[in-house]
Amino acid sequence: MSLLEKYTKGWSFRTNKPSFGEGDEISVFITEIDGETPIARIGDSKLRVHNAPGNLVDKRVLLRVTEFDESEHVGEAEYVETVGESAF
Amino acid sequence: MSDSEDRDVDEDLSEEVAETEIASEGPPEIEFYGGDLVSAFPLAFFVLWAIVQSGLLRIGDTTGLVAGMLVSLIIGLFLVKGSWRGYANTIFEGMTRRVAATAVVAWLWAGMFAETIQVGGFVEGLVWAANAANVGAGLFPAVTFILAGLLATGIGTGYGTTVAFTTLFFPAGVLLGANPVLMFGAILSGAVFGDNLAPVSDTTIVSAVTQDSDIGGVVASRFKYAILAAIIAFIGYLVAGPAMPGLDISGQAQQIFVENSEPAGLLHLLSMFVVIGTAVAGRHIVEAISWGIIVAAVFNVAFGLASVAEMVAFQAPETLGIAQSLAWLPFVELVPAGETGVGGSLYAGAQGFFPLIVLVLLIVAGAQIMIRGGGFAALQDWLLDSVATNVRRAEVTMVLGTALVNAMITINTAAEIAIGPYIARLGERFNINGYRRANILDANTSALGYIFPWSGGVLVGFAVIQGLPNEYEWFTQSMVVNPADVVLFVFHGWVLVIIFLLAALTGFGLEYTSDRESEEVARV
Repeated sequence: MSLLEKYTKGWSFRTNKPSFGEGDEISVFITEIDGETPIARIGDSKLRVHNAPGNLVDKRVLLRVTEFDESEHVGEAEYVETVGESAF
Repeated sequence: MSDSEDRDVDEDLSEEVAETEIASEGPPEIEFYGGDLVSAFPLAFFVLWAIVQSGLLRIGDTTGLVAGMLVSLIIGLFLVKGSWRGYANTIFEGMTRRVAATAVVAWLWAGMFAETIQVGGFVEGLVWAANAANVGAGLFPAVTFILAGLLATGIGTGYGTTVAFTTLFFPAGVLLGANPVLMFGAILSGAVFGDNLAPVSDTTIVSAVTQDSDIGGVVASRFKYAILAAIIAFIGYLVAGPAMPGLDISGQAQQIFVENSEPAGLLHLLSMFVVIGTAVAGRHIVEAISWGIIVAAVFNVAFGLASVAEMVAFQAPETLGIAQSLAWLPFVELVPAGETGVGGSLYAGAQGFFPLIVLVLLIVAGAQIMIRGGGFAALQDWLLDSVATNVRRAEVTMVLGTALVNAMITINTAAEIAIGPYIARLGERFNINGYRRANILDANTSALGYIFPWSGGVLVGFAVIQGLPNEYEWFTQSMVVNPADVVLFVFHGWVLVIIFLLAALTGFGLEYTSDRESEEVARV
């Protein structure tokens, strides 16, 4: 990212329900577990994560989005790898 | 000591190290009498101590807070069920966390840089600029705001800026006929600006490292909020300056300026831009500030702004033979036998942060006890289940929570360290980007630390102003500005608070972790 982009990024009003496209690879925190399925909540949108190892809450993971419903703002994603941890 | 005793000590030590390692790998499950929330005791008691010390008794002594945190940790022991070993090891675990170490390193470097441009006459350069601009009473508060903002952005300390500006610009402005309350407000506003934006500011550093983000990226992402607020505040001072009457004193404001003016000091604007530029360009903060120190030191010596000895000096006893033979070196000074020591800006700058460094290590230890004892999770779950139920509410909770803690702990860096873990966890649960979290955390911390009449920033300025009647014959007791009077006139602070509240409610500037990655791995 260029120096100018670092200063100019974020000068906008961001939705509370972000959307994702099929095939997008995103790095996010796993925020909760629904039954056995880890969930990544991004704003007020939710992705259900498949093929994930256990105990991922508060771990940062790389996901590949497989499906996303634009109207409900929920989707499905595949676990790729764990890339980081919570700051605390 | 015999060989066998040596071996015993070695074995004890290796056992202790191994246990500390085990403690850091998995939860030692510290159990407290009265349940998980009691694990919050060390931090809660510390907050209480800080309120009594800084809020009620108005003592802004950071080492006093260190004593408070130590006492908290000792009393906490008595609330632990069973063995105290897990609790004790958790203190080690917390103190060795990377978040604490990163802040410590950045502070030491920032301290050296700030002190080096100060001995190099940066303040005197700004005084010269104000004098050369030759503005009248009406414009003076607006100009003061800009120049105080520049100094605070260079040296990273709003407290230092407040002291320098209330010493020089405040009496000069009053003499010119500017309104004293507005002048104090403009100075505090400049302090807020720099504390919030400077990469070498202690609060900027804490906000970045507690949110796992690189300092340069945080500064760049913060620019939009800071500049918007600064423009509005500047217009505010432009309008209020001529509208608010000053005092009619016959005297020469210029005299104060001429005595303290050094145009070459403005060269340190370049030292400041070297740090900001290299940090934002993505260089490691240690590298960025090191370059700033080198450039500042070269300017100091090359332009006669400060001698080598003002930056680093071995003050050796004048009676010592070897000291006399080395006295030709620019960093060796001969002093009477009882006054030996090491001095200079590099020494003083680093030393200035020692109390804060010990405090951050202890607070992080207290936070780790709360995490291991389950109190952190209990409070976090309550917030997530009852208060921060969607992303907008989560951000508003972060803004108001930071404000509340800053209202109670008036030494703003300490407040920021205490609330940092909650901002991180709440934000992460909605995948709010680390840069955004750092910005929310720092805005209120910087702003409110110079607004509340009992806050450290206001009190250091007030202390200087109180001394002015002894300094100048014309400065009477009636010209002293009461901390409560200035509250409404810290325009930049208020605008910053309002911008963040609106940003939380509307999503202005909001970014998610999926939008971009902060460069924490490479930077921190």
